[in-house]
Amino acid sequence: MRGWMALGLALLSVTVQAGFPEDPFHSPMWEYNLERYLGDDSEVVHDERVELQVPPFAEDSAQVPLTLDLTAFPEPAQRIVTWVDLNPIPHLFTYEPGADPVRLLSLNFRVQQATTVRAAVQDAEGVWHLGSAYVDAAGGGCTAPSLTSANPDWEKVFGTVRGGAFSRAEHTRYKLNVMHPMDSGMVGNTPAFYIEQVALYREGDPHPLLRLELSQSAAENPMFVFELEQEAPRSRLWMRDNNGNVFERHLGGTSS
Amino acid sequence: MKRFALSLLMPVLLLVDVGSSLAQDGLEYRLEATEITPGVWVVEGSTESFSRENGGNIVNTAFIETDVGVVVIDSGPSRRYGEAFRALIETTTGKSITHVLITHHHPDHAFGNQAFEPETLYMLPASRELLARDGDAFSDNMYRLVGDWMRGTEIVLPPNTLEPGEWQVGNRRFRLLELTGHTGSDLVVFDETSGVLFTADMLFYDRALTTPQSPGLDVWAAELEALEALPYRWVVPGHGPVVEGDVAFRQMQDYLAWLDRTLSQAATEGLSMMEVMNLPIPERFEGVAERRHELIRTTTHLYPHYEKAALALLPE
Ligand SMILES: [Zn+2]
Repeated sequence: MRGWMALGLALLSVTVQAGFPEDPFHSPMWEYNLERYLGDDSEVVHDERVELQVPPFAEDSAQVPLTLDLTAFPEPAQRIVTWVDLNPIPHLFTYEPGADPVRLLSLNFRVQQATTVRAAVQDAEGVWHLGSAYVDAAGGGCTAPSLTSANPDWEKVFGTVRGGAFSRAEHTRYKLNVMHPMDSGMVGNTPAFYIEQVALYREGDPHPLLRLELSQSAAENPMFVFELEQEAPRSRLWMRDNNGNVFERHLGGTSS
Repeated sequence: MKRFALSLLMPVLLLVDVGSSLAQDGLEYRLEATEITPGVWVVEGSTESFSRENGGNIVNTAFIETDVGVVVIDSGPSRRYGEAFRALIETTTGKSITHVLITHHHPDHAFGNQAFEPETLYMLPASRELLARDGDAFSDNMYRLVGDWMRGTEIVLPPNTLEPGEWQVGNRRFRLLELTGHTGSDLVVFDETSGVLFTADMLFYDRALTTPQSPGLDVWAAELEALEALPYRWVVPGHGPVVEGDVAFRQMQDYLAWLDRTLSQAATEGLSMMEVMNLPIPERFEGVAERRHELIRTTTHLYPHYEKAALALLPE
């Protein structure tokens, strides 16, 4: 019996559930995805301080915004995993921290149909704190052809990286955008072609400030927002896609 | 649905017929025409978003009598709406319809086309191209959002095109304008004879504007200024109540400017798309229906442009 299970409502479900708390959204993929992404013997609690924000409906199934705000979460995240329950490949990203913990993360995702979205944040004891949200959608975002590769000029903009650092009190927010089709591999004969790895470094430091691993639920031309608890250093962005293309860029200090 | 050929002789019978044939599944548009000034009629829809409750009747349509027949502005969201609308026009005026002007390619304005004689349908060439391009996708979306009200609705591309400029129909003088702010090709009809300005969706009043095909809020705002200079007395917005004077323009310009400013400022501050969708909306827009819903949509459509403009190109 796990320690956290002694708390509240979760106790009631212990005899019928595998050990996870109940899903307030009753998603059919609840336990399956928890086991798949966190492990079947992981400790999981719902936690309102993991503020996962998505719109109530997806205006564009191929570009649904997601912001994970951890400013109310009392300790640094050891690891974050996000997923979209009913997508063919639910995983969106996994975050691993560097020395400066992340306060806020944003990335657009695709939806195949109306679904719950999850963000799991691991604390120092190994417990996963879960934030959930629901987004309504007409769907088809995973199987719609990317706009980038439908554009005959896409190769000219492919790999274009834009960025900025924004100072926010004692924190720094990075906003980074890369032009990449992020093909999910689920459309006709177009093979999967997407950025798998993202890392941000302080200039001259071999240890990353953060690392992200992305999957096919990520939307094309990704726009990343990372807010870190630090002043803006000169930094270096590194990304690699599943075809081995590497994108590396340098970013000055605070621009605004 | 029976033919309308007898309607001139038997308007009352026709009305009964329309009512009973549609009542079977309970989905009946109860359209009412209001006469703004002699011979100029508006059928006002709600300021909601598409739903199974409203059947897509969220739009203002209109018809104007001339001494050679009736000029209709927009056909409504579905075949069923178009049929009820046509019946209403014919019973109200007792005249035949000479022109149906489709102001732009959005489904709530163009999906009632089937109910009218094809040779009476007119559209700007660029709008017609957009309808040909987007019509099927709009149609899928409409069936999803309003369901059975759409039954039997098919897209009809008007065979006739319009040119902007002075346009005479019988004893009425119109000015047709081609603008771009709402969809890239937006027809505005000014009835110079009566002083009624039919802005279609270039102007929303007490209803948040929609932007899925807008070339940009700055373009829209500039065109609105030009529109306002026309010597109009009444304004019929695409959505929201008919008004006398410039009150609708005031609100729309204020709202547009607020939106544009808010999106640019958010981009300069590095806000994420989701944070923008959650931004507070000023209290003075409390009367603007669907404002949060449309802020979510507009942010999706337009914020990426503002975001990119606020970022620097990072060299290799
Ligand atoms: Zn419209």
